[in-house]
Amino acid sequence: MKRKVLSLLLVAAMTATMLTGCGGKDSASDSGSAGDSGNAGTEAPAEGGDLTLTFLDVAPSDTRTTYYESMFQKFYEETGIQVEYQSVPWDDAADKLTVLGAANNLPDVMTTWNGWLGQFTQSGWVIPLDDYIGDTTSDYTDAVVNILFKSEQTRYGHIYTIPDGLMVKGIYVRKDWCEEAGIKLDPTKPWTYDDYFELIEKLTDPEKGRYGASYRGARGALDPLWVYLQGYTGGATFNQEGQILMNNEECLEAFVKWTDIYKNGGAPQDAINWGFTEMVDNFAGGLTGTLINDSEVAATLINSMEDSQWMVMPMPTSEKDGIIYNTINAPYAYSISGNSQNPDASWKLIEFLTSAENQAEYCQLTGEIPIKNEASGLDYYGEDGYYGVFLQQMNDPTLAVPTSFGTFDFTDLHQGLFHEEIQSYLLGDESAADALGNICTALQERMDEYMAENPDAGIETALTMN
Amino acid sequence: MSSKKSGSKLSLQTRRKLQPYFYIAPVMILLLLMFGYPLIKSIIMSFQDYKLSRLDKVSWNNFKNYAAMFSDKNFGLLLKNSLLYVISAVLAQFLLGLGLALTLNGKFKGRGIYQSIVFLPWAFSAFVVGLLFRWSFNGEYGVVNDVLKKLGLIDTGISWLGTPGLSLLVVIFAMIWIGIPFFGINILAALQSVPSDIYEAADMDGCGTIRKFFTLTLPYIKPTIIMTILLRTIWIFNSFDLVVIITEGGPANYSQTLPSYMYTQAFASYDFGLAGAFGVLLMVILTLYALIFLRITKYDKAGDF
Repeated sequence: MKRKVLSLLLVAAMTATMLTGCGGKDSASDSGSAGDSGNAGTEAPAEGGDLTLTFLDVAPSDTRTTYYESMFQKFYEETGIQVEYQSVPWDDAADKLTVLGAANNLPDVMTTWNGWLGQFTQSGWVIPLDDYIGDTTSDYTDAVVNILFKSEQTRYGHIYTIPDGLMVKGIYVRKDWCEEAGIKLDPTKPWTYDDYFELIEKLTDPEKGRYGASYRGARGALDPLWVYLQGYTGGATFNQEGQILMNNEECLEAFVKWTDIYKNGGAPQDAINWGFTEMVDNFAGGLTGTLINDSEVAATLINSMEDSQWMVMPMPTSEKDGIIYNTINAPYAYSISGNSQNPDASWKLIEFLTSAENQAEYCQLTGEIPIKNEASGLDYYGEDGYYGVFLQQMNDPTLAVPTSFGTFDFTDLHQGLFHEEIQSYLLGDESAADALGNICTALQERMDEYMAENPDAGIETALTMN
Repeated sequence: MSSKKSGSKLSLQTRRKLQPYFYIAPVMILLLLMFGYPLIKSIIMSFQDYKLSRLDKVSWNNFKNYAAMFSDKNFGLLLKNSLLYVISAVLAQFLLGLGLALTLNGKFKGRGIYQSIVFLPWAFSAFVVGLLFRWSFNGEYGVVNDVLKKLGLIDTGISWLGTPGLSLLVVIFAMIWIGIPFFGINILAALQSVPSDIYEAADMDGCGTIRKFFTLTLPYIKPTIIMTILLRTIWIFNSFDLVVIITEGGPANYSQTLPSYMYTQAFASYDFGLAGAFGVLLMVILTLYALIFLRITKYDKAGDF
């Protein structure tokens, strides 16, 4: 009988071990156990005792991983708090964070894209940082305070993230192709979208294997197109009554003009399936002549192309009001998860990572613009530097940051319906009016639902630096 | 008496009866935990509003997910693509695998090396195969267009992955390529178990090669063929990895199949309720298929001579 009881106990213990082993919580831990690859070193802790924080990076690369490992080592030496580095590839990041969030298993600190914040704030997966920021807002650049912080406060009522750096969009252009074609471009002067479309046409020469644009046809296809449409709506998606502004003839005409880049052969046929990687690779590889993207791409191009081959133009101005509508965002902003048991220590880590000195080092590695006043005066970001045009736009009084698709959770639409509707139009399966109409209907339904649930919620408007 | 000695209240006969169940109990418990629970959970979810991002709002919605699934504008396309994908891939894999096995069943110089090479695709992960095909069929840089141009068959590159119909074809090619060895290995093993004396007797009776194949070889290897086709059909029908890696279902869902669409619904829109409904549909289709297939192929009588 004793043996039977013993056997049963052993079986139960084994089963329990298996089950707990499968789903073990690896979030904030006070055990002091060593973390994995990114764990801080072995020097004696300064004050943090046995505390270990977990940190999740959603855009890992050799450069970023090395940077974070060295930062966490420094952080450990200064505070005695260990940091366990975890990462997930960007393409899987939204899924991974959603699963972790649903399982209440998010890490203490995570890098977060602002497009996810609707979902994350609704679900309580991130905590407000207003109290932590307190009166230190004067340390941050105007763009951070007047655009990013303000935008989060308007959309979600609080500030939830601290930018890792700033990204502004620009149009990368093959300088050598332009010279060959006798086209002169001046990045210090404004240009319009019509000028841009004309440039694409001039640079397109399929005989030579050259196309004018790195056209985005897959996931994210609507992002640059929506900003173009917002040039006709004053940078907004909804009016103050919560009605969508894009379902009109003017926007439909703009929709057709934009998609004509692809339909008229300004991009390879395969571009209907292109995402970020294909766009950048094909620009750097010599297949396409222009590329709309963030300043981070400059870091790649500096290494893969000759300086004489490329240049950056500012985003075109709206034909309607002459304003440059351009997104300014923090691609992988720092946030503290709602599951963190150590929010104070987590904030300490974010403060450390975004200190002027550490942040400047980060921005130079990743191609972003510093967020602290102290760091943004570095030569690297001067007028003649690679990032000159991006900074020039941020200081341009005519720049406005358009609203997002909405304050609600639109992740699923962004992952599917948006680009599928555009693809259906490009393939001739439906009309432009139907494609744009379906997108507008989906957004309007989402907005109606959101407003019913949040009757006091404000409506976003375009933001300016003032 | 013996039961008293061992201190058990069960009779020897009962214990003997129960013995097999104890042996299979660990496996059954594991199966119930690893397969039974997710299976039941997904059936339950298919009747709920279950969005991973809104777990605070999970509620019963009766047949709403099923209604959404059947009224999805892509449903007809998904069903058509799934059938085309499965039938063409299984058929081509079977015919090519059978040819491969018959070839390798004969003796020729370098057979061992050749056998190792042709069975290699089965060892590759779907991810590697997917990337291989994605790049090979790239419209601008792909080797396939390059070869076709050099052969003078085309003047300008074909946008394989950007054209409706062709994008699914690339996925089918990849699936055929990866699955031929599985058929080859299984049929070859079955061929090697066919007794040689029946062929000697057939030779003495003056039986030709084709007749020998249809009257002797095929009946002998029929159980293997049936089981292999059944398994491959189920695997291919359920697989979504190649679709996701090669085309991501695009353009505009033209290369999407039922499971890949289910995956998209689950992990792009986090709608596990709708994904659960697709899962239940897949399960029903495959169960019906297995029952009908085994019935019409008379699997229980296959191999009886």
